[in-house]
Order: sequence, then C-alpha cells, then structure tokens
Amino acid sequence: MYVLLRHLRRIRRTVAPPAPSRRHSLALRHVDAGSCNACEHELAATAGPHYDLERHGLTVVASPRHADVLLVTGAITVAMAGPLLDAYRAMPEPRRVVALGDCANGACPLADAAQLAGPLERIVAVDMWIPGCPPPPERIAAALLDLLAAPPGGAYSAAMSSATDRRGAGRPDGGDG
Amino acid sequence: MTPVVRVAPARWRETCAAAIADGGRLCGLFADGSGPTGALGAAVAAPDGDRLLLTEPRGGIVDSVVELAPAVGWDEREAHDVHGVRFVGHVPLRPLVDHPSPVDAWAARVAGRDVHQVAVGPIHAGVIESGHFRFHVVGERILHLDVRLFYKRRGIEAAAVGRPAADAARLAGGACGACTVANGVAAALAVEQARGLEPDAELRRARVVLIELERLYNHLNDVGAVCAGVGFAPGASLYAVLKERVHRLCARIAGHRFLFGAVAVGGGTVAVDAATARAARAEVDAIVAEHRAAWRELRFTPSLRERLVGVGVADRDAVERLGGVGPAARAAGVARDARGDSPRLAYGGFRPILVPGGAGDVAARVEQRAREVEQTAGLLAALLDGRLGPGAATPTAVGSGIGLARVEGPRGETVCAVRLAGDRIARLWLRTGSYANWQLLAHAAIGELLPEFPLINKSFELCYACVDR
Ligand code: SF4
Repeated sequence: MYVLLRHLRRIRRTVAPPAPSRRHSLALRHVDAGSCNACEHELAATAGPHYDLERHGLTVVASPRHADVLLVTGAITVAMAGPLLDAYRAMPEPRRVVALGDCANGACPLADAAQLAGPLERIVAVDMWIPGCPPPPERIAAALLDLLAAPPGGAYSAAMSSATDRRGAGRPDGGDG
Repeated sequence: MTPVVRVAPARWRETCAAAIADGGRLCGLFADGSGPTGALGAAVAAPDGDRLLLTEPRGGIVDSVVELAPAVGWDEREAHDVHGVRFVGHVPLRPLVDHPSPVDAWAARVAGRDVHQVAVGPIHAGVIESGHFRFHVVGERILHLDVRLFYKRRGIEAAAVGRPAADAARLAGGACGACTVANGVAAALAVEQARGLEPDAELRRARVVLIELERLYNHLNDVGAVCAGVGFAPGASLYAVLKERVHRLCARIAGHRFLFGAVAVGGGTVAVDAATARAARAEVDAIVAEHRAAWRELRFTPSLRERLVGVGVADRDAVERLGGVGPAARAAGVARDARGDSPRLAYGGFRPILVPGGAGDVAARVEQRAREVEQTAGLLAALLDGRLGPGAATPTAVGSGIGLARVEGPRGETVCAVRLAGDRIARLWLRTGSYANWQLLAHAAIGELLPEFPLINKSFELCYACVDR
C-alpha cells in the first residue's frame, strides 16, 4: 500500500497537471449513444492522474438530475435516441450539451444509415463539439475547462470549430489522436 | 484457403454434432442473406485446423444446434432476429437484437415468493457503454440475469455489404475502439484467405506487435478497473498511468493512441525503424517493471484480496458449456488461446499461461491478466528487436471468395468470416470475444449479491460495442 502511494506521488511530480481553479464547478453526465468505446476510454482518462479534471471541479455524476452538462458520444443509434432524450429532459436548467467525438456529429461512415437517428444536433441543441476520433484526453480536458470558464450563455470558442471543417476532421484514416 | 464443407440442410445438426464429437469447437454461427435463398454458416475450430460449415436451409428453416453447443445460443437468436432464420428445437427463441419488444418476450420468467426484477440501464452511472441488465432477485440475491444489448447497433455488417473488400479491416476495426486491432486483423486475414493471399513474415510480425500492444493497454486497464470496482483508488490510479503510457507509445509507433488505421487488407501500414523499435521495447520494459512492482503490492493488500476471492465464479464446466474464451476461460483452467493456432501470425511456439488453481473467480481473472501482461511484454521484446513492417500478403493460391480467421484479442478470440463477390464484400461476419463471453458473465452472476455485480462485470470487462456492431 505504502509502496503504491509513494509510487503515485512520484508520478504526480512528473506529470504536473495544470493548477486547479476553484471558482466554479460543473457536474457532467455522460451518455454513450452508440460509440465504439474509444471516446469513453479517453473521457475516462481525463479523470486519471495525468489530467485529473476533478481538481477543477469537473465531476461525472450518476444522475442526469444532478448534471449541468450532457456529454454525448457515439453515432446516436435508433435504440439510444429515446434514452438519450430521457436523460436530457431529466436535467435541470440551465444545461449544456457537448458532442464528444466525430461520431456524435454525424461523421460515422462505417454505420448503416437505417440504424442511426443522429446526428446529435437533430435531437438536441448542441452547445459545444469536441472533434477527434477519439479526441485525445488533453483536448477533452481543454474543452471542458473552456466550458467551465465561460460565463453562462457565453461562447466557447476554443474547441468549437465551424460546421464545415468539423465533419470528418479526425476519422480513423486521418490518423487523429 | 479456408476449407469449406457444404452440408445438406437435413444433415446440419448431425454434421455439427460430428464436428464436436471429433474434438472440434463451434465458435460461432451466422446467417448469410435472408429468406429462401439465405445460407447459414458455422465456424469450427478443430484439432486439424479451422473450417467453415455451410448450409442452405430450405424456406429459412433449419434444426437448432443450441443443445449441442449452448455457446451459439445468441448466434441463433441473432440470425433469427436479423435474417429471419427459424431454428427448430430452440424453444423459446427469444429476441436478442430486436428493440423494442415486450419484457416477457426477451426476459426469462422467474417466479416464486418475493422474486422481483431490478432493471438497470441502458444508461449506466459512470463513463460506461450503454446496455440493459435485468436482474431477477430475491432481496439482494441474484437468481438470474438477462442481458439485453444491441442498443449501440450501428449496423456495421449491413453497411459492409457492397463495399470494396479492401475496406473490410477498417469496417471490422471500427466496431470497437478497444479491440480494433484484433477485429481488424481478423477481417484482413479472412479477406486474404478468400483471395488466396498469404501474409509474409514481416507482416505477421508487425501485426503481432499491434495486437500485443492493444492487449497490453487493455489488460492494464482491466486490472485497474477491478481496483476501481472495489474502490481501491491507489491501484486504479496507478494502472491508469500505465495504460496512458501505452497509448502514448502506440501514438509514437503507429500515429494513433488506439492504433486506428494501423491494419489493412493485403499489407501493412506501419513501418518502424530499428532505433524507434528498440526505444519502444525499452518503454514496454519500463511499463511492465512498474506493473510488476504494483501487482506485487496489490496481491498482498488484504482489503483488495478479500473482495475478489470466491466472487463471480465461472468455472471450467461453465466455460466449456457456454463457449467462454479469452482470459475468463483461461482463469478457469481452460487452455484456450487462438494465439496457439494462428499460423498466419508470428506466434511460433506460443503456449497459453494459466493461473494456478483455475478458480474462475474475480481474483483468478485479474491475476490471469496480470500474468498475461508479462507474457505480452515478452512477445513484444522479441519482436521489437529491430526494424518492423510494413510487409505484404502475396498470392499463393486461387481464392475461393470465402475466408475465415480467428485472432486472439484482449477479451478472447475474434472470429471473422467473409464472402466476396468479385472485389466487393457480400457478407462480413464478426464475432468477438465479448460476444462469446456475455452468456458466461450472466452465469457468473447467479447466486451473487446485486452489489457485487459491478465488480464481476469489471472482472470480465466485456465490450458492448464489439457485440452490438
Ligand atoms: S468518434 Fe471515433 S472514437 Fe469516438 S465513438 Fe466514434 S469512431 Fe469511436
């Protein structure tokens, strides 16, 4: 046990995550609406020692009723559109929707169109889009910190890209991430 | 070339029974096309090599083989839902893929005093994939579990039809981010088989490096997941760091943290010079040295051990009956590892390792992975000794247009079959280790307490994306 903790402390010194800001916090609720699971891996990595987003007041919460932000991954399958909307409707106002990864934005060339209800913006209004396939953890972290810093109703420019260049920006063959 | 045995529909059951009696294992069953012209295929792993059994059931009706091989229960249900094949003797033939269908149609009926159902999902409480569990419980005790997946069905197999054969690896690889290499290599090998191509030594080695890197980060992830499952934060954090290091290494070697795009049909896409390969080997050694030290600590941390021993048992019998694969099978003492019979990959002389005792509980599964991390490091060290890739597959025979391949992924074997029509895909079938093991996981939950389920689930750490496709 002590060995593990000593080890972790040493790692902490080498990874040097950014200094925490304690001014605000955001509760995040993640919904996988048909991903390949790599977006989940990268989102989970932002909670690990290298990025440690909890230090900035960004926590994943169990219930949408406790959430400020809905983080959506995947291609929005027909079967997940309903549960996704249920989660969205359960969230208190004001709420934000973040599309995480290219699939959530409709760039999913491997799927059969008959199985998809997406893109996400057809189902709920999207406030922010984090591009990539999958977006690497530092990009997710930067975007969420940006969201945290923005005043309510303000713009989050850093991670948002325009509607034209965001499609297919980081497909597997693009070697993103 | 993949041996194909054409079977008269009336002899389907008999032929499958004979294949099993001869020491073969039915490792999946699939429909190819719907209606009266549709065919049915079964992949058999036999001591003298893999083969494909094919039949053309008249009017879409055929004898079920689920009693011979309960392992293909899900396959038959899927073939029924998606392709309309009717299986005589599979009663009740409950919907698997079909959404929506009423609960009584897909869940078992469990009756008795105080029996009630607990429904969980499709959305779960953490950063987890979507799927639904229906527990039949008395108080906290689980009597039965129905797993309802396919919420994430993207229709990748349907989308594959008519695409160029060269896209097969990308399509299969796109099914699951965490098993993209294993699935992609299986599809590439299947297409190469269908075309009469054989990968050269260079390509075999490069593919094994990619497969083992994928296994390395997954196994590290899964050891950490079990720590997280019991709330043991130091273990979870440490393994998160080790996993992250492997992702960074993958990005250096193949340009992508999850090795997307690194597998192609007919050749390699990854080329690494000797200096980079040796640097990668040093990094793998360093990661595994840290794992070794951490694992030694974890093994002797009583608060962790106490939670793992004797929980969620999937023993040897259950593995054999339900067709379990991967670390979960090996943790129960079943020496099943497709690396041992992968003539088209550089696994010469491979021997699976088995944890002593083979208890098949959570403790055995996590220990199995911890030991396999060392084995993977050994394989990588041998292959990263010099320049790597890209390699190519060269024609050695006239292709028959049908191919089958098995590749050992992090959660077990991926089986992939393809049928080509000229240069295009006519059918692409993917059956992953996760697909094989969900029935086993449901079995392991029986008799346990409901609050233990997340831990049992994490000790299998199956993908949903891999199954739903
Ligand atoms: S964006 Fe890429 S990584 Fe994310 S779910 Fe889609 S295919 Fe997977």
